[in-house]
Amino acid sequence: MAKVTMIEAINRAHAWELAHDPTVVVLGEDVGVNGGVFRATAGLQEKFGKHRVQDTPLAEGMIAGMSIGMASQGLRPVAEIQFMGFIYPAMDQIANHMARMRHRTRGRITCPVVVRMPHGGGIHAPEHHSESLEAMLAHHPGLRVVCPSSPARAYGLLLAAIRDPDPVMFLEPVRLYRLVRQEVADDGQALPLDVCFRLREGSDVTIVTWGAMTFEVMRAAEQLQKDGVSCEVIDLATISPIDHDTILESVAKTGRLVIVHEAPRNCGVGAEIAATVAEHGLYDLQAPIKRVTGYDTIMPLFRLEYDYIPSVARIVDAVRDTLAE
Amino acid sequence: MTTFNLPDLGEGLAEAEIVRWHVKVGDSVKVDQPMVAVETAKAVVEVPSPYSGVITKLHGKPGDVVATGAPLVEFELQGAAGTAPAPERGAPAAAKSAPPAKKADPRAPDDSGTVVGSMPTSDDELVETAVAGSDIASPRERVRAAPAVRALAKRLGVDLTTVRGTGRGGLITVDDVMTTSGPTSMHTAATVTALKSSPAPRGAPAEAPPSGEPEKLRGLRRAMHQSMSLARDNVMNCTLFDDADLHAWGKGEDFTIRLLRAIGAAATAVPALNAWYDGENQSRRLMQRVDVAMAVDTPEGLLVPVVRDVARRSAAELRADVDRLKRGARDRTVAPEDLRDFTFMLSNFGMIAGRYATPVVVPPAVAILGAGKLSHDVVAVMGGIEAHLRMPLSLTFDHRCVTGGEAARFLAAVIQDLERAS
Repeated sequence: MAKVTMIEAINRAHAWELAHDPTVVVLGEDVGVNGGVFRATAGLQEKFGKHRVQDTPLAEGMIAGMSIGMASQGLRPVAEIQFMGFIYPAMDQIANHMARMRHRTRGRITCPVVVRMPHGGGIHAPEHHSESLEAMLAHHPGLRVVCPSSPARAYGLLLAAIRDPDPVMFLEPVRLYRLVRQEVADDGQALPLDVCFRLREGSDVTIVTWGAMTFEVMRAAEQLQKDGVSCEVIDLATISPIDHDTILESVAKTGRLVIVHEAPRNCGVGAEIAATVAEHGLYDLQAPIKRVTGYDTIMPLFRLEYDYIPSVARIVDAVRDTLAE
Repeated sequence: MTTFNLPDLGEGLAEAEIVRWHVKVGDSVKVDQPMVAVETAKAVVEVPSPYSGVITKLHGKPGDVVATGAPLVEFELQGAAGTAPAPERGAPAAAKSAPPAKKADPRAPDDSGTVVGSMPTSDDELVETAVAGSDIASPRERVRAAPAVRALAKRLGVDLTTVRGTGRGGLITVDDVMTTSGPTSMHTAATVTALKSSPAPRGAPAEAPPSGEPEKLRGLRRAMHQSMSLARDNVMNCTLFDDADLHAWGKGEDFTIRLLRAIGAAATAVPALNAWYDGENQSRRLMQRVDVAMAVDTPEGLLVPVVRDVARRSAAELRADVDRLKRGARDRTVAPEDLRDFTFMLSNFGMIAGRYATPVVVPPAVAILGAGKLSHDVVAVMGGIEAHLRMPLSLTFDHRCVTGGEAARFLAAVIQDLERAS
């Protein structure tokens, strides 16, 4: 089995699906000749041709709108938004049409579109290139929001997203693209959507996170283990709909919950998780729920980037706070 | 001599401004070592060295604008291996080994992976076990309780794993915690726990910590901390002072028994002070029987055994009971049932010293009487002055549910009974 980076895993998932499903079409800015600004689609146009892998103008609204048209005519478009901060021009098409197509046509037409986009910061990029907008997307009924945290999950969840009959917003943690390698079998096996992945089993506290923050959380868990604190780490993976059952079962076991996300705190997905645990798991809680998040301000430029992104130390402190109760 | 030209830093930008040099002419540099920070229209980017060698010339100084593809650094390379750019080795720089002034082949193995900023890159292997979905082991001893119940249990020192929940689905309620903690008083519960957990052998000298070292409270003293904190947080203590003139007493009167009898008489006259008060629900229960908790000072701390039914039992019976309880308290053999369910409290601190005090009411009782040190006071009487034996009295009541008038009438009844000759 090959050890691949997340970007290579994403490339392979595209290639597998292009080879095995003739309705799959890849489109976006620079995805063809250039192979994508992060190389996610490198070599695909050469291999599958200009009709299957299409370069588009710099017009996100058009990319989303064209994808809806393709999908309603039987294709399975996989669109790339070059950076998550560039999604706003596409939101009208995504929110008002893509997310509603099944509802509007009473199930006669579904919208099997995947919109891929880099998520989060950590690569010293300029403004508008480091956003974490998952809460905005998750707030729209009709959109599935997925965020892998390893090469294997990027491969398996992207395949599942492309095969899903409804629109999937596929958020790729940009700083994980080349951070590590992992053995990933290029066998076309999808992973399940709408479930969490437990990355570490523990008994003292449940930490729920997703995307690139899983790396800081796993490091924090290792550090805490040295002091005898046993953390259960849950990767949300599908941000909408949330697999609340897994979280509630874990909280019932540990009695403590810390939620970690890079996005700003205010109205973040962490608030939704905390509210659901308060509604359905309150009697299991032995301590108040803690959130470790980005701050309620614009993601700073690169010099302060890592002051914004939750650090291992902040996560460790939050866990210790809940254990002190 | 090898010249390194400013590479394309992404998105076809034509030029970059030198922010600062990290190296100078004559420096030996290694592959990947940062040489210069340059600012493009999009970001500040570190440019690492593509070669190992000695720098012979730098083109430009901070603030200068360098065109993409123009010479940036000149090297004297070291060894044969240095004649070609080093292979990609995971350095986080956009500019790194992109060929100068030429659009990178998207699939070239040496591309930096991003057009803006720098992509953190490594060959570290991720080894993980990821279990999909809810395959969570069932909880070991699952305690289900509302946050307020958990807080109460913590305050009372009740271990929730020992409490049987009677609420829906085994939920532990406030009542469950209170029942476990003991039917009456928080103090009782804490004291019983303390008695069980610290069987300090009497007479064995406690190991004194070196002076100045903090000593953690345990046992009775810790129980006192808990019950007093609870009282402070909940009770509205208000204290009345007066004296009982014992001039009419003959020889051999038993102070303790007279005090108990006086309390019994006063409680009969003013039942409002012989009561339990549940502040949370604002509900008061007047008690039929007068059960007086007597504070007993022991080396380990304060212990409060209960003398039952002081209003109806004879002096001899009360004396026998008091002796038994005092002995039990000092020997630490007092039974838990002798420590709970009191309806009134008595502190006889005057046996040692102190005339007046502000004793503290421990819920759910609503009043405590403090008896101070007896003394012969000069009192004015009709036709002159006399020296009378007098007992200073301090009555604290919980003003949340007892009025000042009730307390004053209670104290008057105590005094009236005490001042009788026998």
